[in-house]
Amino acid sequence: MTSTVTHRGPGVPTSEPPDEPRGPRSGFTWLLELPGDAVRSITRSAARTPGRLSLIATGLIVLSLLTGLVGTLAVQDRANTIDGLIEHREPLAAAAQEVYGSLSDADATAASAFLSTGAEPPALRERYQLDIAKAGAALAKAASDSGSVAAAAEQVDILSRQIPVYTGLIETARANNRQGFPAGAAYLREASELMRSTILPAAHRLYEIDTERLAAEQDDATGVPWLTAVLVLGLAAALVAAQVYLKRRTNRVFNVGLLVATVAVGVAILWTAAALTVQSVLVSSGRGDGTEQADLLVRARIAALQARANETLTLVARGGGDAYEKEFGALFGQFAGRDGQGGLLGQARERAAGLPAGPHIESAAGNAETWLRAHEEVRGLEQAGDYQGAVEKAISGRDEQGAAKAFGRVDGDLTAAITSARQSFLDDTTNGSRALTLLAPGFAVLAVIAALGTTLGIRERLREYR
Amino acid sequence: MRNPKRHGVPLLLLALLLAACGSPGAPVDPAPVGSVRPPMPANAAVETAVEDSGSAEENCDPTASLAPNPSVPAGSTMDAIRDRGHLVVGVDQNTFLFGFRNPTTGMLEGFDIDIAKEIARELLGDPEAVQFKAITSAQRIPALKNGEVDLVVRTFSVTCERLQEINFSTVYYVAGQRVLVEKNSKVDGVEDLGGKRVCAAKASTSLKNIANAEPKPIPVSVDDWSDCLVMLQQGQVEAVSTDDTILAGMAEQDPTTKIVGERFTDELYGIGIPKENGDMVRYVNAVLEKVRNGPWQSSYNRWLLDRLGPASPPAPTYQ
Repeated sequence: MTSTVTHRGPGVPTSEPPDEPRGPRSGFTWLLELPGDAVRSITRSAARTPGRLSLIATGLIVLSLLTGLVGTLAVQDRANTIDGLIEHREPLAAAAQEVYGSLSDADATAASAFLSTGAEPPALRERYQLDIAKAGAALAKAASDSGSVAAAAEQVDILSRQIPVYTGLIETARANNRQGFPAGAAYLREASELMRSTILPAAHRLYEIDTERLAAEQDDATGVPWLTAVLVLGLAAALVAAQVYLKRRTNRVFNVGLLVATVAVGVAILWTAAALTVQSVLVSSGRGDGTEQADLLVRARIAALQARANETLTLVARGGGDAYEKEFGALFGQFAGRDGQGGLLGQARERAAGLPAGPHIESAAGNAETWLRAHEEVRGLEQAGDYQGAVEKAISGRDEQGAAKAFGRVDGDLTAAITSARQSFLDDTTNGSRALTLLAPGFAVLAVIAALGTTLGIRERLREYR
Repeated sequence: MRNPKRHGVPLLLLALLLAACGSPGAPVDPAPVGSVRPPMPANAAVETAVEDSGSAEENCDPTASLAPNPSVPAGSTMDAIRDRGHLVVGVDQNTFLFGFRNPTTGMLEGFDIDIAKEIARELLGDPEAVQFKAITSAQRIPALKNGEVDLVVRTFSVTCERLQEINFSTVYYVAGQRVLVEKNSKVDGVEDLGGKRVCAAKASTSLKNIANAEPKPIPVSVDDWSDCLVMLQQGQVEAVSTDDTILAGMAEQDPTTKIVGERFTDELYGIGIPKENGDMVRYVNAVLEKVRNGPWQSSYNRWLLDRLGPASPPAPTYQ
């Protein structure tokens, strides 16, 4: 690297043209000639061994310090990225997930509350209120970071404007319902339409954006820092080359200073390579077992929530709900396949073998089958003309084999599995971050040692020329 | 020495003022929101072209139905229903007083529901042996033609145009179209609605009557009648115009509305029956004969007397 300069020298002409000042020098011409002058003076001094040694020393020191700076910054940046993943990016994706999930659940719960008769069941009302509160809190969190991404800001804008409108419609529906007026049902339909046509698509998009950003940052945290690698390997090569040169010139095998510098650089290379490899492997595993698994489970849960909303809306429509029933079929297929064994839940199950989320997913699959059976019974009862029986089967909070209970268990299992997958992410990524402990300051110190070693080592040789 | 100082202060102020005159622009609006519009009921639309009713052909008397016949011969439509064990009836679950879901019981109630139950009581011996299918106004004829329902009892006006596709029983109720507006509205009838948005259900006779009114209102169509009330309450339409019966149910749900104007149509409610089931038409007409002598009045008194005043069942006419 630096040797290109040192090999030159004798061949370069050093004489200057005799008639140099040709008329008055303007204010800036000397500035233009400065690099030329510098090159000339360097090449002049490089023609002799002491000068050449000084040049080699300067080059090595500059390269050491540059490598130290770039490497330390790169490692620090990596550590910051990982901390950002844990403290910022993943919680944001989780917040977007919470918005999407809570709103889907609110839609399903409002429809169930409509189907129930007499005094409004307090459990459903509480669940709806909890959904809305969670969605609001999570939206504030998701909004805190949306400024930099226009598409995300747009979704947050839609959500913050429309959620209050939605809750207003639901309360109007409730007031009418309590007076026994069918206008309540009309307001509920309008609210549900707003939710499905405007709010849920925005929540979905926001979740997608945040998940993509999480994945992109995980990519950043597992890449190879090429600039640092090139610099540090180049530095090692230059140090070796300098020692070979010195050995030829001075016939001394060892130069302690340069040797120390080389060892320092070697340690830096090994340490960095080991730490970054361990860290990358852990962050990747946090992605595979953590966030990607959580994403599958989240999508499964949301498909399940929306299927549940369609199940109840089919009954609300009372015979006119073929479109809802069709959508239930499509969503349940997405969620767990036609038989309760496939779909997103099946995919998550395949990946979850041996993971802490595994048992939750197994349990969810079992409950999904119960739910599907209950759903078929509901359909059967309604088709046979037993509407009240169908409603009872669909929303009863006491029938353990009923659709409401089975769905509730599916939702509980999936929520637990999502939490568990998030824990896997947190554990692996935190361990990955620990692998980088002290690496940044260590790298800087090693680079300084390399620079000092070079200085001392070459100064020792230079003394011999005095 | 004093004077320059005295001049100095105002001069200084002037200078400051001039310096301040370079406008920094308007303050930034951190979250610009232009206008807001309330959400719309699903499938609500402004109708640009309502199919013209073909203004009833000559020599068609929509009220004349087939003569009553209470017998249930083997192999008849009624016999098949008895075998099934329940009647399938297309009804409304959103129209207060005529067919609506009572939120406190979850049961369907109303004048039309009572009529449907009377038919089940006669045919099957149990007024509850009915499977109700909630349908929109627009689904009434398709549901009958596809055989999804045995009967439609759903504020269904008999018209010559509809008679070409389905059958009707004798008329069991005569309503008339009027207008519902906010209490403080200056509208006094359909003639004041020119250029204003007026709501009605899709594929209803009311929607056609609105489209044909002079001066022309802007018809807005929705799936269910209660969606019209929602749009009126949200200020998206100026008025709702349909049968006084349906309007009475809306006014009952919202005391800040009023019904105005005279009846400008006669809506003859009949029970819709598939075209091919002539035997069922005769049977239903026989049941209606009985209903007119008692159950009709008690149901009317329960649902409509307070809102529409005393009335008696219309006399049937047969072909």
